[in-house]
Amino acid sequence: MGSPRKAGVQLRKNLSLINSVPEKLRPLFGAGIFFFLMMVAFIIASPRVFLHLGIYSAIFLSLPLFTIVGLSLVFITAAGEIDLSFPSTISLTGLAFAWTLEQTHRNFFISAVSAIIVGALCGALNGFLVTRLGLSSLITTLGMNFALIGLTQILNNGAVRTFLELNDTAVRSIFVGAVGPIPAQMFWSSGLAIILGVIFHRHKFGLHTRVAGDNPEAGRAMGVNIEMTKTLCFILIGVCSAFTAIIGVLLNSTYFSTMGDGYLLPTLAAVFVGGTPVSGGKGTIGGLVIGAATVVFIQTGVVAAGLDGYWTSFGFGLVIVFSLLGHRRFSGRLTR
Amino acid sequence: MTSEVAPIVQLQNVSKSFGRVFALEDINLDFYPGEIVSLVGDNGAGKTTLTKIISGTESPDPGAKIMIDNNIVKNWTAAKARSRGIETVHQNRALSESQTIYDNVFLGRELTNSLGFIKRKEEVAETEKLMRKIGYTSKVWTPNSTVNKLSGGERQGVAISRAILFQSRLVILDEPTTAMALSEAAEVMAFIQNLKADGKSVIFISHNPWDAFSAADRFVILDRGKVVCDEPKGDMTVQDFIARLHGFAKEGRGSVA
Repeated sequence: MGSPRKAGVQLRKNLSLINSVPEKLRPLFGAGIFFFLMMVAFIIASPRVFLHLGIYSAIFLSLPLFTIVGLSLVFITAAGEIDLSFPSTISLTGLAFAWTLEQTHRNFFISAVSAIIVGALCGALNGFLVTRLGLSSLITTLGMNFALIGLTQILNNGAVRTFLELNDTAVRSIFVGAVGPIPAQMFWSSGLAIILGVIFHRHKFGLHTRVAGDNPEAGRAMGVNIEMTKTLCFILIGVCSAFTAIIGVLLNSTYFSTMGDGYLLPTLAAVFVGGTPVSGGKGTIGGLVIGAATVVFIQTGVVAAGLDGYWTSFGFGLVIVFSLLGHRRFSGRLTR
Repeated sequence: MTSEVAPIVQLQNVSKSFGRVFALEDINLDFYPGEIVSLVGDNGAGKTTLTKIISGTESPDPGAKIMIDNNIVKNWTAAKARSRGIETVHQNRALSESQTIYDNVFLGRELTNSLGFIKRKEEVAETEKLMRKIGYTSKVWTPNSTVNKLSGGERQGVAISRAILFQSRLVILDEPTTAMALSEAAEVMAFIQNLKADGKSVIFISHNPWDAFSAADRFVILDRGKVVCDEPKGDMTVQDFIARLHGFAKEGRGSVA
């Protein structure tokens, strides 16, 4: 008789614990709880897989790729815009990287710079179309996604470019080598997450980005260049897409023009599952990191748990809807 | 106000026409330090146009003379007005509601280190000082609270705090109490009195004759682009004031203030 009541009191205490979390940290907190529950479910469903280090090494291979480009999407979402063109930007910047590698006798530095420049130009073009010509970012970047992948296919002309000779170079081990069981790209993406996190939450550019999505008129009245801020967010996406492409090409020692496929929905899901609201004005970089982990664990975990790959999409759907419900519970109007 | 003190702003022969319509016609007004001027008049009387000219966001027709501290200024712009200590609190308050109070107060003029990172502690401390100065009494909210948690009056307080940042001398308040509950409006009126106590000048635009009367040291009534009354409060009663407003309204288009 006594123990269920005790459990009830304990539960209520736990719930009031949620209320005691500072409001700014609630999206992060919600994403964290969700991730934890999902991991518990995976471990119960398939303890042999999820209590073994192997699965985590596998997940850490691809997690950074989603994290890096996802980080930049937090900025554009907080700025009240959206970018759907990053998958094609990944393909195009990957091509720029691969092509320049071939032309420069495998000069990594020049190739990486050329990929970053191409990415920045794609972002600048998006920014120009959206902020100067006043087009909707949703439709503009949807169109750009088609245009850029088409351009990539035309330029690449069906070639698969391999760089097996890079396999034992220092560059490759610096970027995608392994430190014990942890792939090097995990450190790069973590470092980038910290830098962009500090910029988003503490730098005036981060503040202007949030104001751009919240009340651009207020920003303009106080002398903030909203158009430039949004354009820089688009450029950031281009640059992060290039980072993803570079790591992707190094990881596989191969470039193929479909390398950007499969990024669009999981990365957007990572942003929203992480607790960044669609409505702009707010965002959380820490949440994105957890959101990306959630998404990648589903992708890998569903298969590893012995389920058919089709369950991945089903899992995505459940996770997105339930995590939004969770954020709504923790953070009120946040997810509308 | 005595004429021994130099006015902050002097307007001479200021007109503004939009096409063939005169929004302002031959305005001559002085604004002195430490004085609250209520600017009243019907919709379309030219109140907002006049304040836009003072704050540099609108330029007057040729032939107008704007003097700041007894010096004629040319090519008067919003940036110049700000650098001379003239700040406007806009009707819509221009706040980013998902951000904190201190982020809003310093928006566009952030205190940063050389890399552009915001000096949060300094901004919070400075914001706290400003809020105390204008008499922000709420104990629930701190500079760290987000603006969407505040009442309308408290939001106006944030906008006013922002206006007195960096030594402003003349604060223009465009309809600060519109669409507010009575208690909130009273809060804003207290902020305005604290501005005066701090030595700032205020131009106060209002549709509400009671607020306009209680706040002011001097009244300027505009009617269809002209100054029809420019009088110190002296021993004028609120009845006199309202009678005056009604008088012009009757001659004019029939609606009050």
